[in-house]
Amino acid sequence: MAPNKSRGKPQQVGAVMVVGGGMSGIQAALDLAESGFYVYLVEKKPAIGGVMPMLDKTFPTNDCSMCTLAPKLVEVGRHLNIEILAPAEVAGISGNEGNYQVEVVQKARYIDPSRCIACGVCAEKCPKKVPNEFNQGLSARKAAYVLYPQAVPLKYAIDKEHCIYFRKGKCRACEKFCPTQAVDFSQTDRVLHLEVGSVILAPGFQVFDARKKPEYGYGRYPNVLTAMEFERMLSATGPTHAHIQRPSDAAEPEKIAWIQCVGSRDAAMGRPYCSSVCCMYATKQAIIAQEHDAKIRPTIFFIDLRAHGKGFERYYQAAKKLHQINYVRAMVSRVVQNPRTHDLALTYVDETNRIRTEEFNLVVLSVGMGVDPETAALAHKLGVMVSPSNFVSTGSFTPVSTSRPGVFACGSFTGPKDIPESVVQGSAAAASSARLLAPVRGTLQKEIAFPPEQDLADEPPRVGVFICHCGMNIGGVADIPSLVESARTIPDVEYVQENLFSCSQDSQNQMVQVIQEHRLNRVVVASCSPTTHGAMFQTMLRNAGLNKYLFEMANIRNQCTWVHQGEPEKATEKCRDLIRMGVAKARMLEPLKYLSVPVNKRVLVIGGGMAGMTSAVALADQGFEVHLVERLEHLGGNARKLHSTWRDERVQVMVDAMVAQVEQHPKITVHFLTMVTEVSGSVGNYKSKLSTGQEIEHGVVIIAVGAEPLRPEGEYLYKEHPNVLVSLELDQELARRTPRVKNAQAVGFIQCVGSRIPERPYCNRVCCSHSVENAIRLKRLNPDMEVYILYRDMRTYGEREPLYARARELGVLFFRYNVDDPPKVESEGDKIVIRFVDTDLQKPMELRVDLLTLATAIIPHQNAPLADLYKVHLDADGFFAEAHPKIRPVESTTTGIYMAGLCHFPKPIQESMAEALACASRASTILCRDTLELESITSRPIDENCDGCAFCVDACPFKAITLLEYMRDGNVKKTVEVNQVLCQGCGSCMATCPKKGIYVAGFTLEQLEAQVDAALGIS
Amino acid sequence: MKVTYYPGCSLEGTAVDYAASIAGVASQLDVELVELFDWNCCGASSAHSLNHHLALHLPARNLALAEQAGRDVVAPCALCFNRLKVAEKALLGPEGTELGIAYGGGLKIWDLLDYLTQDTFLKALPTKVVVSLMNLRPVCYYGCLVARPPAVTDKADYENPENMERLLEVLGTQPIDWSFKTDCCGAGLAVARPDIIDTLVHRLYEQALAAGAECFVVSCQMCQANLDLSQERISRKFGQDYYLPVFYFTELIALALGHPDTPKWLAQHVVDPMPLLKMKGIV
Repeated sequence: MAPNKSRGKPQQVGAVMVVGGGMSGIQAALDLAESGFYVYLVEKKPAIGGVMPMLDKTFPTNDCSMCTLAPKLVEVGRHLNIEILAPAEVAGISGNEGNYQVEVVQKARYIDPSRCIACGVCAEKCPKKVPNEFNQGLSARKAAYVLYPQAVPLKYAIDKEHCIYFRKGKCRACEKFCPTQAVDFSQTDRVLHLEVGSVILAPGFQVFDARKKPEYGYGRYPNVLTAMEFERMLSATGPTHAHIQRPSDAAEPEKIAWIQCVGSRDAAMGRPYCSSVCCMYATKQAIIAQEHDAKIRPTIFFIDLRAHGKGFERYYQAAKKLHQINYVRAMVSRVVQNPRTHDLALTYVDETNRIRTEEFNLVVLSVGMGVDPETAALAHKLGVMVSPSNFVSTGSFTPVSTSRPGVFACGSFTGPKDIPESVVQGSAAAASSARLLAPVRGTLQKEIAFPPEQDLADEPPRVGVFICHCGMNIGGVADIPSLVESARTIPDVEYVQENLFSCSQDSQNQMVQVIQEHRLNRVVVASCSPTTHGAMFQTMLRNAGLNKYLFEMANIRNQCTWVHQGEPEKATEKCRDLIRMGVAKARMLEPLKYLSVPVNKRVLVIGGGMAGMTSAVALADQGFEVHLVERLEHLGGNARKLHSTWRDERVQVMVDAMVAQVEQHPKITVHFLTMVTEVSGSVGNYKSKLSTGQEIEHGVVIIAVGAEPLRPEGEYLYKEHPNVLVSLELDQELARRTPRVKNAQAVGFIQCVGSRIPERPYCNRVCCSHSVENAIRLKRLNPDMEVYILYRDMRTYGEREPLYARARELGVLFFRYNVDDPPKVESEGDKIVIRFVDTDLQKPMELRVDLLTLATAIIPHQNAPLADLYKVHLDADGFFAEAHPKIRPVESTTTGIYMAGLCHFPKPIQESMAEALACASRASTILCRDTLELESITSRPIDENCDGCAFCVDACPFKAITLLEYMRDGNVKKTVEVNQVLCQGCGSCMATCPKKGIYVAGFTLEQLEAQVDAALGIS
Repeated sequence: MKVTYYPGCSLEGTAVDYAASIAGVASQLDVELVELFDWNCCGASSAHSLNHHLALHLPARNLALAEQAGRDVVAPCALCFNRLKVAEKALLGPEGTELGIAYGGGLKIWDLLDYLTQDTFLKALPTKVVVSLMNLRPVCYYGCLVARPPAVTDKADYENPENMERLLEVLGTQPIDWSFKTDCCGAGLAVARPDIIDTLVHRLYEQALAAGAECFVVSCQMCQANLDLSQERISRKFGQDYYLPVFYFTELIALALGHPDTPKWLAQHVVDPMPLLKMKGIV
């Protein structure tokens, strides 16, 4: 329960309830807990994580899903200000925004979490087997079980429905054998009455039940699987330990087919929307399947290939060209099983209009997303409005707000979406709550307390070595037991153990205990990369009472077993060397003093479009001072050129309202006709100089500079014929109902102009929907007008799909063209003739139109100067690069710099605004603090050795070193000084210095020499 | 149980054996089939290919008569069932008033298989079984008109119906699952385009054999005719020697329940099932 530190009874409550422990809920919970609020995280299952732990790898980076999620899971599990209630469900709600009373039923798990050590004996002894839902029923678990190996909280539970004791009054084996007497059959469900200021709904999605489409044979033919089942099969912790095999005979399949859109784009099934992620996940599964087994030949049967996110188009093109995945644009109407071989025959019409039948060894159904009935019922109970498909109705300008004030929603509950968008919405929902509850920030927070750090004085090193299996990633290649053996023989090593997953919460707790019990004073973890879990292990040391810099990681995964999968013996030897090197350095590590800087709570927002304004208002409403820098003399950006959204909301009204809000806000100062010219400092303490000469000191910066439309001069008669427009121009004409639009008898659209081509290999995400919306408007204006859309793939994703259907119903004609033979356009007086080959009919076509609209690319501004100023990266297409495409979508690699909107990637208004809110949320985790802890791995001069030659000053890329002079013994002594805030510990100075006059704490020359000696086997 | 019975024209003609087995089984199951008074031909495929109004009016008249009889109506013929359902939709829909036939729609239209596989019958059957069909290895063949189009037939499981399989299991056999149970046999094209029948039915034989089956069980007499009458012709055409008897599901019920007249009905099949039944120890 949250301690109530406020005086008297506050009107608002400084706590928030997040319903749903998937990725979106987790992000919301972390943001809120890190910015001063107490969070109740209510999860229906016994552990948080949602769907992400079930995934093997995620597109487009092919990172291991669990690896990207685990740090967040552990952070949530350890966070003092997040209370996980699992398994638990919301029963009812009353009250108003700022002050809600929520009734939560905490379900009994029949195991006392305070005693459970997750040893697994109860599951071992339990005689009752139950289909394992986490493995999609492909394997069994016991009635006493843990949801998945890295579960947070890592506690077991007893499934009352299947437990023999509950059903027949017998057994109780778990209770008998539990070493800590944690089994408690007398537990009952408890009803909690919790007071919160707001509620965030993040209940996630349910996978479509493929049995509803029996023509595909799911549930009938053993070798037809859902994509989720296949995902488990690909996973190291799955039912076949990542071995791809057919259920019917365990043979390795060669030909695998994916059938797209199962339970999506299917009005007859009540699922008219597109699930947004399946084209990408099928591509990913095909690529990863080949990685597992090179003889696998994947074929993907699809309608439109929807690779509409950042990096997706490249991923798809690589899949086709590099990985040779066979994409067949044909829908398969049924699956026929060969009764002798259990192979599956699919019949389809190929792109030359011939009927083909092909046999596959395995068929994977790309099942879509939906809202489960329980979630729909919860929405109803809470009075939250939903769409006909049960997704929460949100507005484009309020992307995470529900119809009930103070109740927000995020993730797939607001519509099918992928992980980065879910993370963005989680943060956006947090920002919305924080904005509401800013006055009571900090009133209900608990404070963190590490145990005091031991003074090691002259204690000899006692090194602990923890060697991680990382599931199969390391354990499947290297001989871990042998590594444990040899580690024990290294001098100064007092303790060695192996872990299955060192990053799991349970392992962390156990390691803390081991460190304390064995009085270890140096820790080596041989596992993954420091960028993955380094910080987490450092915190583990602090929890054990050790200085966090007495820690060393040996990267035996990314730098060893992942690279040398084909040579396990050599890989093992390399691991042995790496571990020895790790210990060699560890013994020489010294504790380092923790550094911190004060945080300047002022915010700089660059860009006054919808994204920039949204971030500015979201932070200003929380009481932070915001300076908004805008290049032009007015606010509004690109939104000024839009008429309506895909939901028919009028854009200009909202833009005007937002502009008024910004201009009148007491906490926002707008600088028009201004740009940033110079930048110094780092997070918490930036100094940005504006073109007006003014210098702003601020703690964080949000980049929302937008983008611009491509003007395709010379293409398709643009600028040569007056009746050729780009989309934004058509918007203007539609808004004004110009005569040529009203009187047009035929209007044509050409999609993908300047997009998805080698010079610009990305999809612009908004154009298919935008053209469809405009086509519908044209038809409404004049139902007899001929409207033609020439496309490559129709990418009306998510709930935009019904718009595409509507357009077809209204008589809009869609023609598909091939990028290798694009349409040719000729002038014919006032009219324009479009000639192309329709790929479905395989015939040349000619269309005569009065107006031609080109759906052109959105291109980034010249972002390099701004990127250089703040030392952030741009991606290959010139957009700002985020820290991680999946789980850190609005942050740059440099802490304290965020990005939102078109400058990150083309996207519609609602997504730009969600990102802007997310930036505000992420920024507030820094702004709400008075000080920020810094890294202590920084360079330190050794005055005795330094003679002031200043080579290091030039070498430093961060301009952190300055030359000084002082008087000593009557002589001038030159030396250098390092700015600890700017120094990033890169070591360039140390590498340059010829006098051993400067060193990087934590990476001294002696330490590095010891590592080299260890590598060479000298010591 | 009493229900109105709409036999349809072919049950009085080429499918008299089906009609006989239905009558026989009805008595064994205590079902009273009351033939619809003054029923007329439903029009089947000929009417709806010539005249829309006639095609609706023919079956609609039967429904009005059935309503007067005040009971649900069951039709053994899949085409009749389908046409009666089409008429029902038309009568209850916007076209209804144009037809000039009064119809309240308070009765249910059953196809015979659905009717006889209701829970009450399935539960009562095991105690009545006297002959073991255990060794028989059939595939169930439903055909298409009883299930499709679902908007007309109101069937929920039109892609993978399983009631015939459930029936056979209750009778003691293990029907074999296969992917072709609702594939078309060619239906009324038997006379005009026997070559199409050959292609479609040949595939059904091959797939049934691949699945390990030795006979078909059907509920539609059109399917029975196509699978049974053309077996010799198809054997010759494809150089095979197919022996795949085609049973009506009612004949199997009768066999299992020991109806003495069963051999008489079976004798009217072109592909003689007796050798198979003797080999399996069923007769």
